[in-house]
Amino acid sequence: MNYSSAKPKKLFLNCIISAMKSIVPKGIFLTSLFLIISGTAFSNDCYTINGESLEDNTNTRPFVCFPHDEHNENAGLDDNCARCHHVYTDGQLMPDESSEDSSCSECHMSQEKPNDLDLIVRYHKLCRSCHLEEKKGPITCGECHKKP
Amino acid sequence: MTESNTVTPVKEIDDKGILKGVEQLTPEKIESTILQVLKDETGAKLKVYVDTCVHCAMCSEGCHFFLSMDRDPKYSPAAKVKQTLWEIIKKKGKVSPEFIKNAAVVAFTQCNLCKRCAMYCPFGIDIAYVISVMRRICHKLGVVPLYIQDTAHSHSVSMNQMWVKDDEWIDTLMWQEEEAQEDIENLRIPLDKEGADIFYSVIGPEPKFRAQLIYQAAVIMNAAGENWTMPSMPGWDNSDMCMYIGDYEMMERLKKEHFECAANLRAKRIVMGECGHAFRSVYDMGNRALGWRMPPVEVVHAIEYYNELFENKKIKIKHKFDRPVTLHDPCNIVRGRGLHEMSRNVVRATCETFIEMTPNREHNYCCSAGGGVINCGPPFKNARVASGKEKAQQLLAAKAKGAEVVIAPCHNCHGGLEDIIHSFGVDMELKFLGDIIYEILDLPEKEE
Amino acid sequence: MYSHYEFVTGPFAWMAFLIFIFGSIYRFYSLYKLARKKDGAVFEYMDLKFALRSIGHWLTPFGSRSMKLNPSMTVVTFLFHISLFLVPIFVFGHVVLWKENFDISWFTLPNIVADIMTLIVICSCAFFLWRRIKLPEVRYLTTVGDYVILLIVAAPFITGFWAYHQFPGFAAITIIHIISGEIMLIAIPFTKLFHMFTFPFTRGYIGSEFGGIRMAKDW
Repeated sequence: MNYSSAKPKKLFLNCIISAMKSIVPKGIFLTSLFLIISGTAFSNDCYTINGESLEDNTNTRPFVCFPHDEHNENAGLDDNCARCHHVYTDGQLMPDESSEDSSCSECHMSQEKPNDLDLIVRYHKLCRSCHLEEKKGPITCGECHKKP
Repeated sequence: MTESNTVTPVKEIDDKGILKGVEQLTPEKIESTILQVLKDETGAKLKVYVDTCVHCAMCSEGCHFFLSMDRDPKYSPAAKVKQTLWEIIKKKGKVSPEFIKNAAVVAFTQCNLCKRCAMYCPFGIDIAYVISVMRRICHKLGVVPLYIQDTAHSHSVSMNQMWVKDDEWIDTLMWQEEEAQEDIENLRIPLDKEGADIFYSVIGPEPKFRAQLIYQAAVIMNAAGENWTMPSMPGWDNSDMCMYIGDYEMMERLKKEHFECAANLRAKRIVMGECGHAFRSVYDMGNRALGWRMPPVEVVHAIEYYNELFENKKIKIKHKFDRPVTLHDPCNIVRGRGLHEMSRNVVRATCETFIEMTPNREHNYCCSAGGGVINCGPPFKNARVASGKEKAQQLLAAKAKGAEVVIAPCHNCHGGLEDIIHSFGVDMELKFLGDIIYEILDLPEKEE
Repeated sequence: MYSHYEFVTGPFAWMAFLIFIFGSIYRFYSLYKLARKKDGAVFEYMDLKFALRSIGHWLTPFGSRSMKLNPSMTVVTFLFHISLFLVPIFVFGHVVLWKENFDISWFTLPNIVADIMTLIVICSCAFFLWRRIKLPEVRYLTTVGDYVILLIVAAPFITGFWAYHQFPGFAAITIIHIISGEIMLIAIPFTKLFHMFTFPFTRGYIGSEFGGIRMAKDW
């Protein structure tokens, strides 16, 4: 793991890492982790997952650097966390609820047949649909998946 | 290669059949004729062939014209389609008489329809078929080289290629019968014998120019003790120049006459002399035009027949032919019928030393005379012989390995190779398989 | 930019796929109908065994004399066609799109492999261009359309390479990449690119004729 944030967080993250390593297959673990970080860490930092520690990114594009706070500020989201961290119940969007405490994979990945692609696709759709709607922000592959 | 510099292709053509034909053309006639042929007589096959060609020129290597003309791009197979059907299809038949003139020269005299290029095209496009369509258009426009048109006229008048009259035909057979009695006493050429095992048919030029071949065939048939016959009536000629000029109506009549002649005599099968184009006509084009998937009467080419004779030990030889030979694989019976291994069997059974020419079998170079090209006659002779340069080199290479005699089991190939051997100073002897067999045949002692 | 993106990934993409699929079906159907009407013999002589025999030989590198006589063309053409076929279908960026839009996915190529294959396609196109210009027998046959086809084929790979490596202006290039891919799809049924579908039939037919009737090989 390589992230450019402050040291104390490293300990905390390592705990999560080891905890998750025991329960989730490796590739999925890393993807989920990334989502958890960006969802829960509330940091200004740009989180990237370095290729070295990954064995399965030979086929995929470089991982995305997502500056959470900067993004929200630019997007004027203020405290509208639910715009991204949404909650659906029986197919209905719950406008007053948000889900920043849970990981995306809880809803968006099949527990029986976990597949990285499920989350990747969700992520693409979430970002791109909003960017297209707002006519702001990156939409093509390379704009997010920047070459290191 | 002594005379190779003197034989250059003629630039301006001097052929009355084409020139007079073109004079009579009008743009309207050209267009309506072309559209009729394209619409009524061709279909998906032509369309797919023309549309699929990606212009890669891989076919070039397959063409002896291209190779012999120092890789002149105009002679590559696809280039010949470009000069004919591509343009015609693109312009929907709106082409000039001048275009038709060139297209006729290309289609009739620069392609032997040998189908070698189909083996070099990655798509297996049958370019010979496309060129045949061009010939068909030319035939319908009345733009056909004079000499080959004359043979086609002969076919329609006399049902044989060489204006041989009915009585002359019988006379020739009786004459050869008498001659052959020199070899075998009481030898017969049985005429119109019903229910014979073998109905032996030849091409028109045999009685006209190469009557000794009938003599030899009679000797071989007699030596093998065959129950055979030859017809005294029209239908005896299996050749077919109408096929090559695109006169398919006449081709059908000819083949019908031929098959019916054999069927009327209730012959078990047709054995034909060493001819390539006639085989194409009976086995490939004529039967199909008549609606027969395969010939209605079994047709056996001389090579296959000779092979049978040796396999069944029906004839005996005195000794093997002692001069080193090489073998030419004719297009119509090799790419047309896969007889290359059988011809080798016969050569091995009859000759002491056999030297392969390379490339061989399906990949052998064409004699440059087939497909009716030699039948287009003197106006195109120089160009035809010049396009045999590659063949000459192939022959010389076989000669360098020791071959003295070229066996060519096809009449057209004989004509073409004779000119090539002469013009390029190849200096090899040319023979039919039948010549060799006749020469070494062990005949019963004649009672004097 | 945003509306362009929406157009090329939305209506234009649908149109391209529909034209590709239905255009190809239409061409097939019309050729089949015409063949039934005019070329009955083709069906009569078509023979699965000999068709496959011929196709097999011609899909094997150096499986024919023709290929042996043109080694460079053979190597290039095999690498080219394999890459041309594999990259668009199996590159990760495209599989993700299938997953996003139709919830289907399959095996993906490692980036480095896809990258090399893309370069192979681009270099092959350059080789074909060189052949067209340089070899007299190819130049004689070449039409303007042949150059256009070459461009249509090369464009998605050049722009794809550009976008993947994020060379300057890659965002706009990505959109051009999408358009060029769609143009190629649209072009397939109506141009020489249709040879991808006719190959088995032309090859199969001559293979059947040679194998079943002429009893000779055709390679």
